[in-house]
Amino acid sequence: MNHFDEMTALLYLEGQLEPERAREVSAHARECGQCRELLGALEREGVWLRQALEAEDESVPARLVEAPERGTPWGWIAALGLSAGGAYTVWTGIVDPWRAQAAQSGFTQSNLLTMLFFSGTFWKGWDAMRSLTEFLAMSTLTIVVSWLLRRHWRRLTTAGMVVGAALLFTLALAAPPAGAAEVKHGDPNFELASGQTVPTDLFVFAQRTTIDGDVDGDLIVWSQVVTVNGHVKGDVICGAQSLRINGTVDGNVRSFAQSVDITGTVGKNFMSWSGETNLESKASIGRSVTLGSNDATLAGKVGGDVLAMADTFDASGAVGRNLTIRSDHLTIHSTADIKGPVKYTGKNKPEISQGAKMGPFQQVIPKTRPRYERMRFYWHRVLLWGVGFVFGLVLLLLMPGFYADATGACRKYAPAAGFGLLFLFATPIAAIIACATIVGLGVGITTLLLYIIGVYASTVFVAGFVGEALLGPSTGTGAAIGRLALGLLITHVLRILPYVGGWILFIMMFWGFGAMIMAIYKRLRPQLAASAAA
Amino acid sequence: MERRKTAGEMSAAELAEVLTRVREGDADAWGELYRQYAAAIFRFCRRALPTKEDAEDATTEIFMKVRQKLGTYDSSRPFTAWLYKVASNHCWDTLRRRRIRQDLETGDLETLPLEHPDPSQLEKLQIDHTSKEVRAALAKMQDRARMALVLRYYADMSYDEIADTLGVRRAFVGVLLLRARHQLRDVLAEGMPGARGAAAGSAS
Repeated sequence: MNHFDEMTALLYLEGQLEPERAREVSAHARECGQCRELLGALEREGVWLRQALEAEDESVPARLVEAPERGTPWGWIAALGLSAGGAYTVWTGIVDPWRAQAAQSGFTQSNLLTMLFFSGTFWKGWDAMRSLTEFLAMSTLTIVVSWLLRRHWRRLTTAGMVVGAALLFTLALAAPPAGAAEVKHGDPNFELASGQTVPTDLFVFAQRTTIDGDVDGDLIVWSQVVTVNGHVKGDVICGAQSLRINGTVDGNVRSFAQSVDITGTVGKNFMSWSGETNLESKASIGRSVTLGSNDATLAGKVGGDVLAMADTFDASGAVGRNLTIRSDHLTIHSTADIKGPVKYTGKNKPEISQGAKMGPFQQVIPKTRPRYERMRFYWHRVLLWGVGFVFGLVLLLLMPGFYADATGACRKYAPAAGFGLLFLFATPIAAIIACATIVGLGVGITTLLLYIIGVYASTVFVAGFVGEALLGPSTGTGAAIGRLALGLLITHVLRILPYVGGWILFIMMFWGFGAMIMAIYKRLRPQLAASAAA
Repeated sequence: MERRKTAGEMSAAELAEVLTRVREGDADAWGELYRQYAAAIFRFCRRALPTKEDAEDATTEIFMKVRQKLGTYDSSRPFTAWLYKVASNHCWDTLRRRRIRQDLETGDLETLPLEHPDPSQLEKLQIDHTSKEVRAALAKMQDRARMALVLRYYADMSYDEIADTLGVRRAFVGVLLLRARHQLRDVLAEGMPGARGAAAGSAS
């Protein structure tokens, strides 16, 4: 017989050969040293392999110590009930009144977020998602569906690509056609000279931006100093240190600026979040004005309502409809002509000159009764606890390993706090920078949304850690849920303490955020190492 | 056939009684059964799957399946054999779902000719590597090769059981095991400077 090969040797050792063939192999091995050596080596390899596999050098994780539970999910039921109540309270107490007020001020078509991000040229197709609630619900649904499909994504890649392409195609057909746009980067300044016309929307990123010519579409500008002397036929959306409008804007003006001066004409609505806002005597706003400003002066003419939150508010111009003010210092001069009623919410007595024309005046003095004396305050706290508990449960049950890692990382106080402080401030800055570049707008918004979720999750991780620190490490899902509930209760009580409550929340945010970053890093590390090796 | 040992020792009579109580919905009995076997199943999953997180998730999911499927268990056969069958099927399903792309990338390896081993180099490889290194090498192997080694040399499965779990012909199991051993040797040899293919002598 010739020498046998390795396959035959292995099958022989494993007792898988036919008896006759096995006898031949056995007989040959007795005579052939080379084949005997091969058999011996393979046999020893088998033993070595078994020993290596049997060696126990890793302990069983704590979360596997207890059997997975499947009882009545009373915790879920209670917490879902609480969170439904919370959602209802938030809706009736905050969202609906805000919506009503915003609608009164001319914001019936869109809200702040869509105005800011989605009303620009590239996002006109998103106008269907006008409501913030719809947008959040869609985001949540996307996250949940992605999570549910995560295990199947490879199988679904082809199908997903087909469906995705079909969806994109449908959207492209259904969405209003997005106009073309010109994008200008100043060097360092940008100037649209008088007589020049931009026939489309205009995006500008520059140190100083001066518009003396005409823009037929919207003007979206990020700049230190923005001056509009020309004519913008669409909206002006502006992030600037200083914004001055001397010319004409046919659409809306939405600005985020340190100081805003209007001497020209705004055809529709004007909204400003700024340190100082001046609607000078020549200014004319066609519809409503919404302000969030430290100091505000209204000397020009407003066709619709004025809704303002300002430390000092000085009115000497004309308002076509209602004036609603929340302020510390309200002054209404004799030249003022306010057609509708004036509602003023503030502690101080307003200064109203003789001769000022206005509808019925009403002052509401904000209640100063301590919040601790109101039942509603405690009810809100219970609801917030419920929301936190549901959120924690979702994390705990969907991502038990990650939850355990993040709460565990809270134990490493110094690195968690250090990473937390760094990422807590660096992430939004990076996201805003990403937003400022057109390509990164989607990435920036997504990062900001994830950041908000992450900051909230941080407080839950710290609560989970507090629970474990008090009751000892959890040894099963039920125990972890109990510890989470207790931790949330304690942290919520601490957060309502006067003076220190805010600081406790801040500490929880950066501490938990750092722990979460460490847990994410821990999860990514093996993959990073593997990809580096490849 | 003897399976991997479990945490504590439970006699056949005790196990039968616990299983009966579990079938009747006794939560304590279920906890007892879980405590008896969870560690062993986790260790099996830890070897069959590439990461610890995968093994943790798989252990929980396997016990969920065990609880659902306990009615189909034939008590005339050893419980551990059935348990390992459920576990190995689950692990293989998990891996198979992720495997489509990997197979496209590495499918050719299955048909490459194997090099004849040099027994002295084989011995050296065994001396030079600790159990921990072998297990780390397992994580770097192709899923099917790793699974074959674990089913055979850790779970003590027969060739028939392995063929059934991995969905291959029985005659192919030996080939699978031999190629898996070669792959393990190659992965271990790659970790030693200048030793790639150390365990291989001339082409057979």
